[in-house]
Amino acid sequence: MKPATLHLNELQEAVEKLPGDALAVSRRAALAHLRKHGLPTTRDEDWKYTDLAPVIDISNRYLQHDSFTASSEGLDDVVGQICDSIDADWLVVRNGVVDPASTGPFDQAGVSITRLSESGGEMEFTAPLSNLNAALLRDGLRVRVADGAKPGRPIGILLVDSAAETPGMSQTRVEIQVGANSTASFVEYHASIGAADHYANHIAELALGDNSHVDFVRIQERGSNHNQTSRLAVAAGRDSGFNHCAFDIGGRLVRNDLHIDILQPGSSVEFNGLYLAGDKQHIDNHTRADHRVGPAKSVQEYRGIVTGKARCVWNGKAIVHQGADGTDAAQANHNLLLSERAEVDAKPELEIYADDVKCSHGTTIGELDETALYYLRTRGLSKHDAKQLLTRAFAQAIVGKAPIAAMREMLEEKIAQRLGPLLEGIDA
Amino acid sequence: MLEISNLSASIGGTEILHGLSLEVRAGEVHAIMGPNGSGKSTLAQVIAGHADYQVTAGTVTYNGQDLLELEPEERAREGIFLGFQYPVEIPGVNNAYLLKAAVNAKRKHQGLPEIDAFEFLKLAKEKMALLDMDPKLLNRGVNEGFSGGEKKRNEIFQMAMLEPSLAILDETDSGLDIDALRAVAEGVNALRSEDRAIVLVTHYQRLLDYIEPDRVHVLSAGRIARSGDKTLALQLEEKGYDWVREAANG
Repeated sequence: MKPATLHLNELQEAVEKLPGDALAVSRRAALAHLRKHGLPTTRDEDWKYTDLAPVIDISNRYLQHDSFTASSEGLDDVVGQICDSIDADWLVVRNGVVDPASTGPFDQAGVSITRLSESGGEMEFTAPLSNLNAALLRDGLRVRVADGAKPGRPIGILLVDSAAETPGMSQTRVEIQVGANSTASFVEYHASIGAADHYANHIAELALGDNSHVDFVRIQERGSNHNQTSRLAVAAGRDSGFNHCAFDIGGRLVRNDLHIDILQPGSSVEFNGLYLAGDKQHIDNHTRADHRVGPAKSVQEYRGIVTGKARCVWNGKAIVHQGADGTDAAQANHNLLLSERAEVDAKPELEIYADDVKCSHGTTIGELDETALYYLRTRGLSKHDAKQLLTRAFAQAIVGKAPIAAMREMLEEKIAQRLGPLLEGIDA
Repeated sequence: MLEISNLSASIGGTEILHGLSLEVRAGEVHAIMGPNGSGKSTLAQVIAGHADYQVTAGTVTYNGQDLLELEPEERAREGIFLGFQYPVEIPGVNNAYLLKAAVNAKRKHQGLPEIDAFEFLKLAKEKMALLDMDPKLLNRGVNEGFSGGEKKRNEIFQMAMLEPSLAILDETDSGLDIDALRAVAEGVNALRSEDRAIVLVTHYQRLLDYIEPDRVHVLSAGRIARSGDKTLALQLEEKGYDWVREAANG
């Protein structure tokens, strides 16, 4: 079968209609790259399990409609709710457009925000989907945390979309530079509303200065007919620390890539994640840690609760390059498969080209523990409540790792809310 | 309170209980003894409602209702408590959370309002002190990383909080050192009352030095081979289980 193709001529028309701002040059370059290299297909090893055909279809329909004025009805409420639920200083991007109010005087010392449409900058398109992102990018954010700065509150980045009647599409981009000896935390929140189809494509880069530390929580809570691809590429400096925790709670077809490049010795990175999927959701998390030097440590654990006809993919790759002695890399992926028609593809990959390394990986796919269920029922809990309790406990192992501790209670509630409907109908 | 009549039960196609009959009245403490494989644990699990055990014949009546018709959680809410031989570790489920959920499930069934958080904590601390349990265990995962003795104490602690009408304690004494055994026995004795029945399933007579039973039954090959008062346990200790087997066969 011929893979779905993007309508490039309509895409070009769309690119030409965008303003002649600081991004105009990179948009055209990205379009040329896209014409030459296209989008990933299931023939690419890294995209074997995730067929982008549905999002290409939405993109084509969006481009046909020629409507760049996406409805923002109801978005204010969503923005308000999310910003109130997490204590952070928020930057808001609605339907791919940076909310000017949110980039105004940012009142944390040592943090500066600029808009990419004003400052431009060089962009690379080598990462899959970054060409599409750059071609249609209307605006983006550059966040700088100065050397030695320690902002007291998390910096929130809210990427929110709505697709009310016609298919919607948005491109967002965030570049973060964290200076040497600084400590900062970030919340990246993806949300969407509306009954029409939507596709959001997010690209983020994070450069960690020497001896800096960053905590990062990503939450994806898109509508049930909304799709997302996202990529975060991290370049870790000397003795830097990075702690990332991701929560995929909503969405239809979701693909997240997290890539960490350890370029200097002494860094320690941790990335954890939880995905909850039911119905026909498809959630794919690909992680990759390139240990280019040692000593350095990368630890990851992803967990999934999968039911209905959902399909989840976890592919964790650790590459220990030649000479990266003293590398310590561990990866784990655990799944609760709660229906016979659900599917999990778990693929740990270790490529080791150095001698003095410590690497481990482990994956499990299982059902709820029958003995534990029975034990809880003999204490008077209904079968349904017992299942809820056990699945929540399974998820809790990741919630407890969320580096911004103040968010854990809110995350726990959000997960419990989603688990309710996910567990309906599996009591038979 | 509990009437078991001619009960046969099997697991995985193997019949373990062969026509067992037993009656337990409110206020009584019964000890069920017997060698390994005689069906003691099977009896406990059938009463609690374990789905792996199939009842192939006989009846079990609890307070006048057909117990075998009820789901495990319904039996629990009706006042049946099973103390597990091997209490299950459930990482991530908070011990206090489970207890509160269990207490409230029963209260709801009885038409009572949920227990007040302050009252619950006060009660829990009281009961833990009685069992000489570290109060920190309340906020750990259910049995997570507990020692053998802590697990068994936790079972008795749950029982004390749930105040069952019928408690079945499956080998609660196994693996306990003498201090833990005393604490557990003290916990059980504190719960003895006129409207409560306790069934102790045990392999050894040792527990009965601390909890004096009204009746002692010896199980052999899936049925009760001999019943008597507390002196039967002492006789058993002296003569061994072969004595019962021979008597049953003879």
